[in-house]
Amino acid sequence: MAKKKSGGFAQLIGKRIYVGEYFDYPLLFVTLFLVIFGLVMVYSTSSYTAELKTDNAAYYLMRQGAFAVVGIIAMLGVSFYDYRRWKNWSLIMMILVIVLLFLVMLLGTTSHGAVRWLQIGPFQFQPSELAKLVIAVYTAHMSTIKVRQIDDWVELGKIVACPIVASILILDENLSTGLICVAIMAIVVFITSPKIKRFFLIGFGGIAVIAVGFLLGTSYRMERINIWLNPEKYDKGYQTLQSLYAIGSGGVFGKGLGQSIQKLGFIPESHNDYIFAVICEELGLFGAICVIGMFMFLIWRCIVIAYNTRDLFGALVVVGITTHIAAQVLINIAVVTNTIPPTGVPLPFISYGGTALCCLLIEIGIVLAVSRHLHVAKQY
Amino acid sequence: MPKTYTRKKIFAFVLIIFMVGIILSIRLGYLMIAQSEYYLEKAEALHDRERSIKAKRGVIYDRNGIELASNKPVCSISVIHSQITDEDQVVKALCNVLELDEETVRKKVQANTIREKIKSNVDKEVADKLRDMKLSGVMIDEDYKRYYPYDSLASKVLGFTGADNQGIVGLEVAYEDVLAGVPGSILTLTNAHGKELENEAESRIEPIAGDNLHVSIDLNMQKYAEQVATKVMKSKQAKRVSVVLMNPQNGEIYAMVNVPEYNLNEPYTLVGVDNIYDNEQDALNYMWRNFCINDTYEPGSTFKLVTATAAIEEKVVNLEDTFSCPGFRIVEDRKIRCHKVGGHGTETFREGFMNSCNPVFMDVGARVGVSNMYKTYEKLGLFEKTGVDLPGEASSIMHKQENVKAVELATMSFGQSFQITPMQLLRAASAAINGGDLVIPHFAMYTTNEEGEKKEEFEYTRKKGVIQKETSDTMKELLEAVVAEGSGSKGQVAGYRIGGKTATSEKLPRGNGKYISSFLGFAPANNPQVIGLIMIDEPVGVYYGGTIAAPVMAELFSNILPYLGIEEEYIETEPGSFEVAE
Repeated sequence: MAKKKSGGFAQLIGKRIYVGEYFDYPLLFVTLFLVIFGLVMVYSTSSYTAELKTDNAAYYLMRQGAFAVVGIIAMLGVSFYDYRRWKNWSLIMMILVIVLLFLVMLLGTTSHGAVRWLQIGPFQFQPSELAKLVIAVYTAHMSTIKVRQIDDWVELGKIVACPIVASILILDENLSTGLICVAIMAIVVFITSPKIKRFFLIGFGGIAVIAVGFLLGTSYRMERINIWLNPEKYDKGYQTLQSLYAIGSGGVFGKGLGQSIQKLGFIPESHNDYIFAVICEELGLFGAICVIGMFMFLIWRCIVIAYNTRDLFGALVVVGITTHIAAQVLINIAVVTNTIPPTGVPLPFISYGGTALCCLLIEIGIVLAVSRHLHVAKQY
Repeated sequence: MPKTYTRKKIFAFVLIIFMVGIILSIRLGYLMIAQSEYYLEKAEALHDRERSIKAKRGVIYDRNGIELASNKPVCSISVIHSQITDEDQVVKALCNVLELDEETVRKKVQANTIREKIKSNVDKEVADKLRDMKLSGVMIDEDYKRYYPYDSLASKVLGFTGADNQGIVGLEVAYEDVLAGVPGSILTLTNAHGKELENEAESRIEPIAGDNLHVSIDLNMQKYAEQVATKVMKSKQAKRVSVVLMNPQNGEIYAMVNVPEYNLNEPYTLVGVDNIYDNEQDALNYMWRNFCINDTYEPGSTFKLVTATAAIEEKVVNLEDTFSCPGFRIVEDRKIRCHKVGGHGTETFREGFMNSCNPVFMDVGARVGVSNMYKTYEKLGLFEKTGVDLPGEASSIMHKQENVKAVELATMSFGQSFQITPMQLLRAASAAINGGDLVIPHFAMYTTNEEGEKKEEFEYTRKKGVIQKETSDTMKELLEAVVAEGSGSKGQVAGYRIGGKTATSEKLPRGNGKYISSFLGFAPANNPQVIGLIMIDEPVGVYYGGTIAAPVMAELFSNILPYLGIEEEYIETEPGSFEVAE
C-alpha cells in the first residue's frame, strides 16, 4: 500500500521518492460517504413534501441521485485529468461564467424569490455554482503567473479583476454566494503573496464596507439582523425558529433517522439549506458532530494535499476549493444554529441541488488529480 | 514548490477553519443539551394541536337515582391564526355572538400562535350559531360543564367544580377521585400548516369517564327540609337555619340543609352574606360553609341527653330519684341559674329531664363525676371527628379533663362551656337511641360506572355497644316523654311517637341576646328510623327552642314520616302514667 511520508523524513531513511503513484483514497471515501449520506438525508427530509407535491416520495432523491451519479463519474474523470491543463481553460471559463451570469440577470428563472437559474432544456442550471469553481481555478492560475509581481497593487488588481466582476454580478442577487466567491479569491491571493498586513487592511476595509452597507442598506437586510437577534418576535424568524426547535429537540442521540417532525412542513425546504437542522433532530448532537467531523476530515485531507504539492498552482487551486467547501459548511451550520444572521447557503454534498453537487464533485476531482502528483514515499 | 510562507499561511488558514468548526460544535452542544428541553417543549407545543380531552365527570345521584349534579354540554371556542381567511369577519362574528370586547378578540385573532382560546363554557346553542356561520379558522370544541339541576339544593353538601371541572368544595371535592375520571388526550401532531400528520393520528388516548356517586340524600326530604328551614328563617328573621336528617341506625344522611343556600350554578354570586367581609373571598368562603360540620357551637340543653346517658349508663341515678330546683344551684362560689327563674321545685329525674331543669343535671353530672363523664363522651365520639365524608370537619373544643372542676362539670352537664359540631351531637344522640351503636354519618353509598353498573360500595365501620342497650331503651323513653309531655311538646306529630330534646343556647359572649334555638328529634320513638336536628341561628323575638324549633321539626316529620313509609300509630299510653309537668 502506498503510504505518504514527508519528503524530508523519507530521504532521511533513504527511501526513494516516487511521483504519480499516489492517490488520496481517504478524500475519495469521505467524499463518497458525504454524498451517500446526503442522499439519505435528502430522502428523509424531502419524502413528505415530495409526496404532497408530486405523489412520488422519492422525487427529490431520484433527481439528486442522478446528479450524484453524473457528478461522481465527472469527479473520477477529472481526477485522471492532469490538473495543470486547467490553466489553459481558466480564462475561457472565466469569461464564459461572466457571460452566463449576465444571461441569468437578463433571462433567469425566478426561484425562491431570487433570480439564480438558467433554464437549459429540461435542466435548470445555476451559473453561480460554476463561478465558485472557475474563480478558484482562474485566481490560482493568475496568481501563479504573477507570483513575483503580486506585491504590486496594479498586478494584484489584474489578478482579481475578473473574479471581482463575477462576484459583483452574483452579489447583486445573492449576498452570501458573492461573499464566498470573494473569499475564495481573497484566500488564494493572500496565500500567494508574502505580505500579510495589506490583506488584513483590505479585510477590515471590506468588513467595514459590508457593515456600512448593512446599516445604510435595504430594510430587508436590517430585518435579517433583527430576526437573528430575536427570531421569536418576527414573522420571518419562522424559519430560524423552526430550525432551532429541530436542533433543540434532537438532544444527544436524536429521534432516529426518519423520525424528524420538523421536516414535515415546519421547516420550509428542509431538504435544502436547513437540512443540517433535520440531521440534528434525527441523529442528535452525536450525529451532528460526526457530520462536522467528516467535513473537517475532508478539509484536512485537502490541506494535506495542498501542503505537499510540488507546484504553486496545485496548492492554490486546492486552497481555493477548500475555501469554498469550508466557507459553505461553516456558514451553513452557523445560519442553521442562528449563530449568524440567516442567509441561504447550502451544505456541501448534502443539501439538495444538482449544479452545486456536480460542481463540488468536480472540484474534489481536481483535488484528487493534484493528489496524484504528490511527493510520496513507497516502501518495498 | 510552494514557498515556506505559503505553507505557513495554509496552516494558519486551516487552523482558523478548525477553530470556527469547534466554536460551532460548542454552539450545537449548547443548543442540543442545555437548551434542548426548552426547544423540545416549544416544538411539542407546536406539534400537538389538541392536548387533553376532558373526562366526563361522574354524576351525583340521590338515593333514588335522581341527578343532583350532572353535566351539560358546552363548547369552547378558539381560533387558529393560520387558517383564518377573513380576519374582520371572524372578529366581528366572535364579538357579536359571544358578546366580547372587540379589542381583545382582535388581539387573540391576530396572535401568531398555533391556537388561541377565545372563550370556554359557551352554551351549545350559542356555539351552534357560530358553527352555522362556517368561519374558517374558528374551532368549536364540545366540552362538558358541571350542572346542578336543582340550583341551590343541598348546595353546602354537594359543592361545585372549578373551571377545569375539578371539585372545589363539598362532595365534589371529597369524592374527586371517584368523580373526576382520567382525562384523555389527542396527541395529534400537525405540521406547520396545521395539517394533521397521518401516521401520528392514532395516538389518541380516550378519556375515562368518572364514576357516578350515589349518595344517601333524598331529594324530597332535602326539599321539605329546605322549605321548612326557609320558612322559619324568614318568619323568625334568623341569620340562618340548619337542618340535618339522618338514619340513626346506619348514619345515612337523608338531608342536610343550611339556609340560605347558594346557587351551585353560580357559586361566585354572593347570597345571604352579611356585608361584614373585607374581601370577597372571605365572604364566599362564609357562604360555602356547611355549619353542620364546619362549625362548632355550645349545644345547650340538647346535650342533656348525653349527661343523662352517662348517668344511666353509670347507674348513678334512677328515673324516680328526686331532686329539688330552687331556680338556681350554688356550685362552689358560683350561682348557676335554671332557665325557670322560680325553680321547678321538687321533681324526679324523669321530670327534671322533661323540664330540662339545669339544677337536676348539675346534680346528676356531679354524681357521674368527671372521669365517668369523659368516658361517656369518648364512647359517644365527642372527642373525635364524626368521620362524615365532607371536607373541613371541625373538632370539638373541650376542657382538658384535669382542668374540669365542679363548676365546669356543672355547666357541661347542661351543655355549656364547650363546643361540638351539630354533626357530633347528632351522632352521639343516634348512639343513645339506636341501641348503643356509634355510627359514622355519611353521604356516599356506592358508585356506579358509566353504564350504571354498581362498582364500589362504601362501607362504614360502626362501633357496636358503646353504651348498653338498656341505657338506650331508657333514653328513648325519656326523650319520648320530653315531647309527649315535657318541654318539647311542640314537637309532637299526630299519630307518631316522637322523641326529642329542645335547646336554647346563648351565643358567646354571654348577654348579647343572641341565641341558637334548636331541637333534636327522632321517630318513631320506640324504633328510631330518622333523627333530625334543627338549629335556628339568631332568631328575632321568641327564641326558645321548644317554642320555635320543635314545631318546625314536627312539621318536617309530619311530611317525611309518611314518605319514609312509617305507619301512623296511636300511642297506647294511658294519660296519667306520666306526671304532667307545668
